[in-house]
Parts: sequence; structure tokens; C-alpha cells
Amino acid sequence: MIQDYLILSIILFSLGILGVISRRNVFTVFMSIELMLNAANLAFIALSRLHESMDGHVLAMMVMAVAAAEAALALAVVILLHKHKGKLDTNVFSLLRG
Amino acid sequence: MFAEWLFTAFALLSILGAIGLILFRHPMHGAMSLVVTMVSLAGLYALLSARLIFVLQLIVYAGAIMSLILFIIMFLNIQTRDLPEEKGRILYLLGGIVLLVPVASFLIKVVKSLPATEATIVGSGFGGVKEVGLVLFQDWLLPFEIVSLLLLVALIGAVVLAGKRRFVK
Repeated sequence: MIQDYLILSIILFSLGILGVISRRNVFTVFMSIELMLNAANLAFIALSRLHESMDGHVLAMMVMAVAAAEAALALAVVILLHKHKGKLDTNVFSLLRG
Repeated sequence: MFAEWLFTAFALLSILGAIGLILFRHPMHGAMSLVVTMVSLAGLYALLSARLIFVLQLIVYAGAIMSLILFIIMFLNIQTRDLPEEKGRILYLLGGIVLLVPVASFLIKVVKSLPATEATIVGSGFGGVKEVGLVLFQDWLLPFEIVSLLLLVALIGAVVLAGKRRFVK
């Protein structure tokens, strides 16, 4: 049933939000964001199967491209911050506080 | 019947992988359990007869993005003592569950009101390269070009950020 796929997508998205708000390791926060993008992808594909149209597949491909761009930029920022501070704690990264 | 068993197995594996991601302390273990989630999501895409997205999930997500993340984690050589102390994480986790359970149950109720459709596997004419490509290059041409621009910007940004010799204060 299509509903089961959508319910699984909601559960995975909620787990991603839980990872973002409960962890302080910058890698785990980043991977939780990837998990949320994957949950959105699953919802796109399931709804595309429900309506038997290809638009959801195209949107899922775009989400993958955005995730790849985000991974490249975020990991570059993490390397830079680790070089500067030597830590992986998100509470330490407060350079933009002003 | 067999497809339902496969769905249950893949769904359980993906949820277990996600739980492992938010509970493991070391990011390497978390990344490994995220790989489990990605691969089982690829299996779910195959069950939804999205052939192209199935292959792309395996190559782009489980292959490229996860190996990039694992490479960076190994490159930074993270020891257990370098990890941040997360004393209040069980508390934050409980608070997040309290916050998210009403939202998620509301969304599940909304989803259950959708018309019930069996997710049988469609044969030809759905989800292949040809069908997706036709839609992509006819209706979605402008968003496709914008995404290519976004990838170019991300490429240049990553080179500029990571290629700096010293951090300028």
C-alpha cells in the first residue's frame, strides 16, 4: 500500500529531526539532514507511483543534486572549522555570533 | 505477498539504520548505519518500480555522498576523546519525541485519508530512463539548468573554502 511508504517517510523524517536537535556532533547533524532529504525523496517517489506520473522522479533527482552540492559545501566548511578549532562540537562553532 | 514481506524487511532495516545514526556516539558508526538506511531505501524505490531512481540512489547516495562523508571522517582522524561530550542528549531526545509525536501522528492521520492504492510493480513504461528523461527535458528544463548552476556554485565554493592555506581572522 502507498500509505505505508508515506508513513515510513514521516517516521524517517521525524528521526532526522530528532538527530538534529539531540546531537552536538557536527557529522551526525549533517547526516541527519541527509536522512531528512532521503525521507522527502521517498515521499516523492511514493506519490509519483500513486499518480503514475514521472514528475516525482524528476523532483527526486533534483533533491539528490541539491544533496550532493550541500555535502560538498558542508564538508568543506567542516574541514575548515576543524582546522581552526580542532573540535567537532556544534556549540564551539559560533564564529558568526557577531 | 512477497513484495509486502520485502517492504516490511526494508522498512525495518531503514528505521533501524536511522535509529543507529542518532544513537551511536562515534560518527563513523553513525555513517555506517546511514549506509544501511540508504541501501534499504534503494530497495524500497525498486519496490515502487522507480528503476532509474533505484540505480541513482545506489550510485549517488550510497556510493558517492556516503563515501565522501566517510572519507572526510577518516581524513580528520577522529578519536573517541575528540568527540563532544553530549551529556544532555537523552534529555533532548525525550523532549524532541514529546514535540514530534503529535506532529507525526497528525501527519499519519492525514496520509491514511488518502485513497488506498496497491503498490504493485508496474512493468514497462514507468520509471525507466526514457520516461524520466522525456519529462525532465520537456517540462523541467529550466529547473534542470538552475540545478546545474547550483552544482557549479557548490564546486567553486568547495574549492575556495577547502583550498585556503591559512585561516584568516
